[in-house]
Amino acid sequence: MANEGVLRIEKLRKSFGDNVVIDGLDLTVQPGEVVVVIGPSGCGKSTLLRCINGLEEIQGGRILLDDQEVDGRSKDIARIRQKLGMVFQSYDLFPHKTIIENVTLSPIVVQKRPKSEVIAEGEALLQRVGLLDKRDDYPRQLSGGQKQRVAIARALAMKPEIMLLDEITAALDPEMVHEVLDVILDLAREGKTMIIVTHEMSFARAVADRVIFLEGGHIVEEGIPEQFFTNPSTDRARAFLRTFEFDAVRSHVPKLQENDAASA
Amino acid sequence: MKKKLLGIAAVAAALALAAFVLVGCGSSSSSAASSSASGSGSAESSAASSGASASGVFRTLDEIKASGKIVIGVFSDKHPFGYVDEGGEYAGYDVELANRLAKDLGVEVEFVSTEAANRVEYLETGKVDVILANFTVTDERAQKVDFCDAYMNVALGVVSHNDKVIKSLDEIGDGEVIVITGTTAETYLTENNPEIKLKKFETYANAKTAFENKEGVAWANDNTEVIAFANAAEGYTVGIEELGSLDTIAPAVSKGNTTLRDWINEDMEKLGAEKFFHAAYEKTLMDVYGADYEETLVVEPSK
Amino acid sequence: MELLGLDVLFKGSNAMRLLQGLGIAVEISIISVVISLILGMLFGIFMTWKNPVAKVISRIYLEIVRIMPQLVLLFIVFFGATRALNINISAELSSIIVFSFWGVGEMGDLVRGSLESIPKHQYESAAALGMTKGQIYYHIVIPQAVRRLIPMSINLVTRMIKTTSLILMIGVVEVMKVGQQIIEANRMASPNAVFGIYGIILLLYFLVCWPISMLARHLEKKWSN
Repeated sequence: MANEGVLRIEKLRKSFGDNVVIDGLDLTVQPGEVVVVIGPSGCGKSTLLRCINGLEEIQGGRILLDDQEVDGRSKDIARIRQKLGMVFQSYDLFPHKTIIENVTLSPIVVQKRPKSEVIAEGEALLQRVGLLDKRDDYPRQLSGGQKQRVAIARALAMKPEIMLLDEITAALDPEMVHEVLDVILDLAREGKTMIIVTHEMSFARAVADRVIFLEGGHIVEEGIPEQFFTNPSTDRARAFLRTFEFDAVRSHVPKLQENDAASA
Repeated sequence: MKKKLLGIAAVAAALALAAFVLVGCGSSSSSAASSSASGSGSAESSAASSGASASGVFRTLDEIKASGKIVIGVFSDKHPFGYVDEGGEYAGYDVELANRLAKDLGVEVEFVSTEAANRVEYLETGKVDVILANFTVTDERAQKVDFCDAYMNVALGVVSHNDKVIKSLDEIGDGEVIVITGTTAETYLTENNPEIKLKKFETYANAKTAFENKEGVAWANDNTEVIAFANAAEGYTVGIEELGSLDTIAPAVSKGNTTLRDWINEDMEKLGAEKFFHAAYEKTLMDVYGADYEETLVVEPSK
Repeated sequence: MELLGLDVLFKGSNAMRLLQGLGIAVEISIISVVISLILGMLFGIFMTWKNPVAKVISRIYLEIVRIMPQLVLLFIVFFGATRALNINISAELSSIIVFSFWGVGEMGDLVRGSLESIPKHQYESAAALGMTKGQIYYHIVIPQAVRRLIPMSINLVTRMIKTTSLILMIGVVEVMKVGQQIIEANRMASPNAVFGIYGIILLLYFLVCWPISMLARHLEKKWSN
């Protein structure tokens, strides 16, 4: 198939009542590509991911994965969703299932794969996100960062073609952000196709093949990260990036400390 | 997986249990019916057929005979009129008559435990054939059920302490009379002697304790109650044995069930002739009321 | 013994009769509880439907259950059905019908509450894993709802067991009625039996309800993970 693993979004329109959130958006994601979507809050980035996964009804255009239409209302949606691994901001592990059960539930009941094989794979995934020792714990025993890593493993267990990551570190304490993003960087290194919505600019810069700047339901600018982050071509992207910086309000003359100098 | 299996097993077990108990329930009520007192509301087993009867609500005499069983509503906790003895058998003055009626009719008897409040209801729906539960004849009830001949008298009585026996309401003066809320005594005194001060209690036990502690000069209640009380304890006399209108107690059948009523009346007249009710009194009420009140209370039906 | 009138308990088959009475109360409550749990679950799911007709129906049903005293319902089913429809329903079956009618309503509302307390994200993350609606309910929503349901439904079950004392009003000789029979049969001989017998009945109700509460606590603990 010519379009194996290709996600094509054509003239996507999504509105909540009169409020148009995505307005005629076109986007194609190639296999192995990591696309980072950034933009001010309310620009439609999360809605875009939810549309791709069929969680939102769309008002116009179409979304194609492997040339198959993604439609939240169709009977096929459950099958198509297996190709899309989604991780949410609020991680939402299943609290009544152990960590390994969380990871293996869907491959077993949805994909009906052999249990022993799924468990072995699940364990390997937990190993990969550094949580094999939590195998039989329940979600409430884990920290936020650990839960989010399990959620990633849970999505990967489905062997999806594309991972959709929706602000997966936004609800985490700062010290846990890194452990989660490291897992994603690792996936990127492996060549996993991903669409990532994030507010972590340095992460975006490190992981992305392509950055898409979304505002008002349109793609305002897109490009490779070096170009986008150092020299954005639109004023709006520039203004947006500036919101992440602070100008110093006090000046300090750096004083070289003696022992620092000695150790250096 | 283990958990899931457990869940399925639990649901299956619950369903099986429900089915088992439902079946068990059916059989237990039918067995209860034959073992009389331990049975529950088993009236349906035989009275249920009343629905099909030509008369509608009730079963006629012939239908009862044909079914081989008569369903009689009695009290199961009003000693000594209708109660269940320690062997689990129904007994008492009312029950004596119930058993005899069934015997004379040549059918088995099935008792249903009734409450004061639902006796009329049982007859109006034909869930019992006869009510024999210390049922006082009143005009209001006679609109809804058909009473047979009376087999007992009942009136209000007033018991007082031996050191100041009250023989008429005039002697009460400023003293307080104890009554139990909701009884005929309360209604009667409120309506006919509003000048008398009443001290009201919710339960028999409270009224009894209060009276024993001399919180009132007298205690007014059904004469059977005060007589029983005075006979059971030292130091009390029933100064007024019959106050107000003399009421009677009679069996009752569903309104319009003339075949059954006529047969019961006929049979009770025969029983009256053989002094059945005196014998029943001596067997069941004598211990409580003593020989003195036999003539006051017992009625032998006659033509 | 004499003081509490407990001696009457050992007269004849009195103790056995009390236990038989308890058996009838427990039997009726078990059947009603099982029916209430199963149908209440379905009714609860029905109540979460957004269909306005479904909402009106469940609203009316729930109001009837809440407003009508159980005693009135017992009379309606036992006597009323005979009067109005000429259907003769046995006293036990009437009790089971009324208790289940009550239980399904209340249980349904509890189920609805616990279903609605499951965060939307649980549905979404399950859906995102490719589960169908049925799989989401079976694997994710219902197991969690049941865990939230346990403490509240145990409360309902014990209330039901205690409320079986009402069925003596339609002629079912359950433990309370047997108790009254024993007390009244011995009113002259053992006036204190009222304390002893009611004390025993209290104890019997406790012995039935206590293990249920323990089971609830056990499950709660087990599922708190």
